[in-house]
Amino acid sequence: MTRAQIPFKRQDLPSMKGVIWVARHPVAGPQGITGQPPFIASSPSEGLEVLVALWSDASVTALHGHVDLGTGLRTALGQIVAEELCMDLSDVHLEMGSTATAPNQGATIASNSIQTHAQPLRCAAAQLFVWGLAQSAKRFGVSASQVSYYNRGFHVPDSALVGGHATLDNPTKGVLSWNDLIQEQNICLELDLSVSTKPSHQYRLVGQSAERVDIPAKAQGDLIFVHDMRVEGMLHGRVIRPPYSGVDSGDFVGKSLIGIERESLAHIPGLVGVVVQGDFIGVVCLREEHAEQAMRDLVVHWRDWPGVGSLKDTQAALSKHPSVERELLNEGNAQQAWDTASVKLDETYVWPYQMHASIGPSCALAQWCTDEEYQATGIRLRVWAGTQNPHVLRADLALIANAPDVGVEVIRMEAAGCYGRNCADDVAADAAILSKAVNAPVRVQLSREQEHAWEPKGAAQVMQVKGGLDSAGNPVAYDFLSSYPSNGAPTLALLLTGLIEPVAKVYEMGDRTAKPPYQYPNLRVRVQDMAPILRASWLRGVSALPNSFAHESFIDELAHQAHVDPLEFRLAWLEDPRAQALLRDTAHKAQWRPHSSPQEQGADPKDPDWLKGQGVAYARYVHSKWPGFGAAYSAWVADVEVNQVTGEVHVSKVVVGHDAGMLINPKGVEHQVNGNVLQTTSRALMEEVQTHPRTGAVQSLEWGSYPILNFRQVPVIEIVHMPRQNEAPLGAGESSSVPGTAAIANAIFDATGIRLRNPPFTPEKVLAALNSAHRAIPSEGANHGANLGVNDWQDQPNQLAQNQNKNIDPHDAQYPSLSQDRNWSFIGSQLLKLTRQGLALASSVVMCLLAWGLYGLTMNPNWQQRVSPQLSMYGPKMIERGAQLAALGNCSGCHTAENGALNAGGKPIQTPFGVVFSTNITPDENSGLGRWSYKAFERAMREGVSADGHHLYPAFPYTSFKDLADEDMMSLYAWSMSQTPVATQPYQNTLSWPFNTRGLMRFWNTLFLNNPSPLLEPTTLDKQATQSLKAVERAQQPDDLFKRGEYLVSSVGHCSACHTERGMMGNEKRDSHYLSGAMVNDWFAPALTAKNTAPLPWTAEELFRYLRTGHTQFHGVASGPMAQIIKDWSSVPDEDLWAMSIYLANSMNPRAQTDDELSTMATVRLEQSKALEVKARGLDVGQRQFEGSCSACHHEGGGPNLLGTNAPLSLNTNVHGESPNNLIQIILKGCPTPANAQMGFMPAFKDSLTDSQVVDLVHYIRARYAPGKPEWTQVNETLEKLRQMPTNN
Amino acid sequence: MIHSKRVQLRVNGREHTLDLTPQATLLHVLRNDVELNGPKYGCGLGECGSCTVLIDKKPARSCVIPVLGVIGREITTLEGLPALSLEGQCLQISPNESLPPLHPVQRAFIDAQAAQCGYCLNGMIMMTVALLLRNPQPSRQEVIEALSANLCRCGAHVEILKAVDLAVSYSQVPLKNSLSTLKPHEPLNPLLKGHDSAIDGSEQANVPGVQ
Repeated sequence: MTRAQIPFKRQDLPSMKGVIWVARHPVAGPQGITGQPPFIASSPSEGLEVLVALWSDASVTALHGHVDLGTGLRTALGQIVAEELCMDLSDVHLEMGSTATAPNQGATIASNSIQTHAQPLRCAAAQLFVWGLAQSAKRFGVSASQVSYYNRGFHVPDSALVGGHATLDNPTKGVLSWNDLIQEQNICLELDLSVSTKPSHQYRLVGQSAERVDIPAKAQGDLIFVHDMRVEGMLHGRVIRPPYSGVDSGDFVGKSLIGIERESLAHIPGLVGVVVQGDFIGVVCLREEHAEQAMRDLVVHWRDWPGVGSLKDTQAALSKHPSVERELLNEGNAQQAWDTASVKLDETYVWPYQMHASIGPSCALAQWCTDEEYQATGIRLRVWAGTQNPHVLRADLALIANAPDVGVEVIRMEAAGCYGRNCADDVAADAAILSKAVNAPVRVQLSREQEHAWEPKGAAQVMQVKGGLDSAGNPVAYDFLSSYPSNGAPTLALLLTGLIEPVAKVYEMGDRTAKPPYQYPNLRVRVQDMAPILRASWLRGVSALPNSFAHESFIDELAHQAHVDPLEFRLAWLEDPRAQALLRDTAHKAQWRPHSSPQEQGADPKDPDWLKGQGVAYARYVHSKWPGFGAAYSAWVADVEVNQVTGEVHVSKVVVGHDAGMLINPKGVEHQVNGNVLQTTSRALMEEVQTHPRTGAVQSLEWGSYPILNFRQVPVIEIVHMPRQNEAPLGAGESSSVPGTAAIANAIFDATGIRLRNPPFTPEKVLAALNSAHRAIPSEGANHGANLGVNDWQDQPNQLAQNQNKNIDPHDAQYPSLSQDRNWSFIGSQLLKLTRQGLALASSVVMCLLAWGLYGLTMNPNWQQRVSPQLSMYGPKMIERGAQLAALGNCSGCHTAENGALNAGGKPIQTPFGVVFSTNITPDENSGLGRWSYKAFERAMREGVSADGHHLYPAFPYTSFKDLADEDMMSLYAWSMSQTPVATQPYQNTLSWPFNTRGLMRFWNTLFLNNPSPLLEPTTLDKQATQSLKAVERAQQPDDLFKRGEYLVSSVGHCSACHTERGMMGNEKRDSHYLSGAMVNDWFAPALTAKNTAPLPWTAEELFRYLRTGHTQFHGVASGPMAQIIKDWSSVPDEDLWAMSIYLANSMNPRAQTDDELSTMATVRLEQSKALEVKARGLDVGQRQFEGSCSACHHEGGGPNLLGTNAPLSLNTNVHGESPNNLIQIILKGCPTPANAQMGFMPAFKDSLTDSQVVDLVHYIRARYAPGKPEWTQVNETLEKLRQMPTNN
Repeated sequence: MIHSKRVQLRVNGREHTLDLTPQATLLHVLRNDVELNGPKYGCGLGECGSCTVLIDKKPARSCVIPVLGVIGREITTLEGLPALSLEGQCLQISPNESLPPLHPVQRAFIDAQAAQCGYCLNGMIMMTVALLLRNPQPSRQEVIEALSANLCRCGAHVEILKAVDLAVSYSQVPLKNSLSTLKPHEPLNPLLKGHDSAIDGSEQANVPGVQ
């Protein structure tokens, strides 16, 4: 380790030895600039700002106030410093962004870290080098020009030395090291910006590609990211955010909390604190998973909030938002020139709200210092954060800490890439509040949903352009008006706690690159500044990227009107020769196809659905306050393919020209350009924040509802660098994103003749525009676009909206309601209605029943014993068999409460009549079966009467158990009594009257107890199954197995308890209803008869595989209640499962296909599914949701091969069922405890998807994977109901 | 109250005895109990792949896996890759003696500079390791499919695809030859290797034009 790598604080440097450093007085910074966020200056008490420290071991600490956001800034700055000092990159260590160390250089924004803020550092390094030369010269007794530095030493030729061969104080050598010069001294130089830096022609590091210094550590999991920071005694915090997701101004902010129910966290282990301040809520736990659970489980009551109004129509939302107009330029008379122009265009371009969408949700660690530490060090609060703006964050944290700025230390660590400001500062403030409250270090990790909802968005923007051509086709007017809602985004916790007022501030931010790069003789540029609507911040190409989209789309529209090739038209009117050169070179590299009308390339000859087009755009990113600074120049030529059937757009190739002046690290810039091209392509094609239709709250909470580009959509990228190594460096990278969207829109126009002015260019938008174009001019061919006049496509957004509404309206029911609606709840509600309405007839019936029941109660003798039965009566084999039967009967499934002792009862069973708690079936003498005789046990099992004589409810399936063979009954009893006794308190059922009257059950029993199961004849048993059974060497005859299977299914297995529909009285229906499928706790237990709807038939082998492992190749996985049952069946012998499989297969599918036959059928079905094109059916939203949320695990080939089974959904029984219940249940609750861990696990999406997203997803899955099945009609209703259900159900 | 259970978890070849409740995901435990930095929290929904680890050499999304569901299985994280490469694939020796040896896939990602912020890097590397274990010579299409559900927001896709190509070539190199046969490729970082060439204050450095 070099000395430079040892961390130090600014204040300690003056007292350290063996170092020379360059410092400056803190910069006051730009003050009071109207309409811009304030610069927070450092405190004078902090002393000099250190820029470079060179240590006696010739290692260098370079300090910079900006941070590396994954852009390679750390490496580039290292190159600059190493260059000036003639050192190696490895000699230089960068300290960036930490407030106690690095200088205050404001926020890392607008690509100006190199262009502007590297200069002090460069000068400081040069100063050190000059100092070294001068000192060496002095000691050699020569002039500085005679000293040269190489091989880590200052050298002087022998000929120049005094006396020919020695220095004054180093008589033997003509070389001095840095150590010789510095020794034990502490030397401070004040920054001199006039020092001469190395001329660029002497550069040997700058301008050469260097590998990024941070990647090796990241590839090995070293401590680099703030997410990985841990300190002794660290606790885990989570926050709970208010319902106004993504909105940070308005009276309701900080004032919407009614209260929390602390007791709702009574079950959370290691809960250290719950912190509530205004609308800020946080929980702190010893362990992270418990903090997460506390975040989910805390019951919070919020007031309704008014909403900011619908943002579905961005243009309308912005146009009615109050604004202040600001004129930036007015040359000539644009209005008049437009009035008299030969060709007039008046177009509006609409940019959506977009996200940074950092791949890692923000995280921070805060440490509230002890009073002793505060006294000793002056530090009250220490925060490790991934901030972009350390000194502004420090001021915010000082508010929270109630301490001066210098009492807070912000230690900057790396975070997931952000392209502007994400939640990094917010989470730092959250951590500070929690740490202060519990007086311990607290790490806070935001959830994916919180980061998505609350990150300050890239603002929406509306650009209106009126422009025109004269009769010669020359541009004569350009009247540009850009409307941009501001992007201040105060740190969230300050607003939520009420430390600052939630007043929306208007910043002047919409003016970046507002001036078009082309010569318009009459030019007016205006901006409408407005307060934020959604919480927003600067996002890559802030306001410049949308403005440029308008400029570059409009120039294309003018070229089209002028019947001139868009490249030629641009070159003719582009003012800057450097821009012209870049555009020419880029177009040349891209093999530009000149065209003056669209659709000249035509369709792909191999696939005529795909139309090809090429588009161009140019921009120089001009950032900062108007008129701003120009960063790099950039040009794009994009090749696209547009599918005219589905509306899909592929960007197949992007040639991007980039002129950033001198490149510090050409390879690094190239990576940045690649990244910008890909991110821009993603933004142009897919990205738009989903918001609530009424309130405007952010509803994109994960990657399905905010999809970003993935590896399938990566275009070929070619970069054209301009040779400008002798020019000044300009902000690189970000600039290359600016012209991208227009290039893609222009290419889409070239391919199709449709002009899209409202990114993202999603398939449904493209298709709607294509359809409306075809409707408008059905007979025109390739050249129709060229003949279009003004405003031809102005009605497009409305048509689009109608189209979308039509496509996804879930009320657009085409299919009749399904019979499965007659489920438990339905029956329950009907019955309750009946009783509560107090109809005379009903009540008299009930009274009769009650009377009968009371009578019945007196009839049952109490069979409890005084002493416990002797276990020795039963052999181990009998107990073992009993255990197998208990597993088969899944006793523990009902008789074990969540987190309760095994078989000790207490699990609530929802019935239509109320909640029944399962009983304790361990042999505890008081609360369990300890004093039950065999006779009492048998009576309970066969007749539903407890040992003390009271009736049991038929939630306990004694109607099935009654058929148990005596021997099996005895075994079950033996097993019961062999368990470890567990004492419990009695459980109180909460049945409503009259169902809380147990005596009624006697009446019920006479009606339904002896209702025999229908028998199936074993004669149809397929020979194939028999063969299979032989293959596994089963000794029994098939007929015997069939009978055994029937016995197990109908008795101890009590399959009918779930798989048979129930009557009005909760009884299992018989005859054709037996095992024909039923709704249980809103899971649909599929039919185990010929009514089964699985896409491929069930065979005995498939059933066996399913019952044994929980999944099969041809039918999918067990989920919901069945998953637990299969888990419990792990101890049931193969023989029993085979027997049940044979019996059930015979009932479901007597034909019994072989596996080979099934395989062939599956292949056919998968191919059908793959060929199925559902995009044209308006399910794009659901498809995108599926691809983002589900497709990592659920794909039919063509995706990653992850742990788990990935059974094709095309073969999934639930997807093909008659009701959407199971699919919705699984989406909401996931499958955290599958039947078999090899199957993989599925997370719950209930907190990540909104109702409309689930509905879209369900409709898409049904249409895509169950083609030919009718659309589900009850999706909304079912979802609404399932959302209400407790999660553990 | 939720009760914890004592379990043994095998991570990167080492056994860990832990008291855990059912709420703990594998990711929680790897990060907080085993104190590993490799697997990262990205979405908690298995959508983005930042948290990828290997379970019995298959890639798995540790953020959605209850740790109690994978007891008894072999878990490998980014940190365990060098040892894994000793077992199955060749070991790449780091040219810098102070750095631990690297798995060829890690080396390939460094050499291809296949990261911007690097938060997704763990997932990209782990998916590539798993892909090459299953399919040592994947086609470009197979690579794209394998990585299609691993998200990168910075847009390092081009470099990542190059890294996978490089990893394929590195993984073909037998162990004993791994150093010599790698020569055609650049060493880790020419600038880190140290320049001994004389830099004279007056000498004109050759600055090549950038294409």
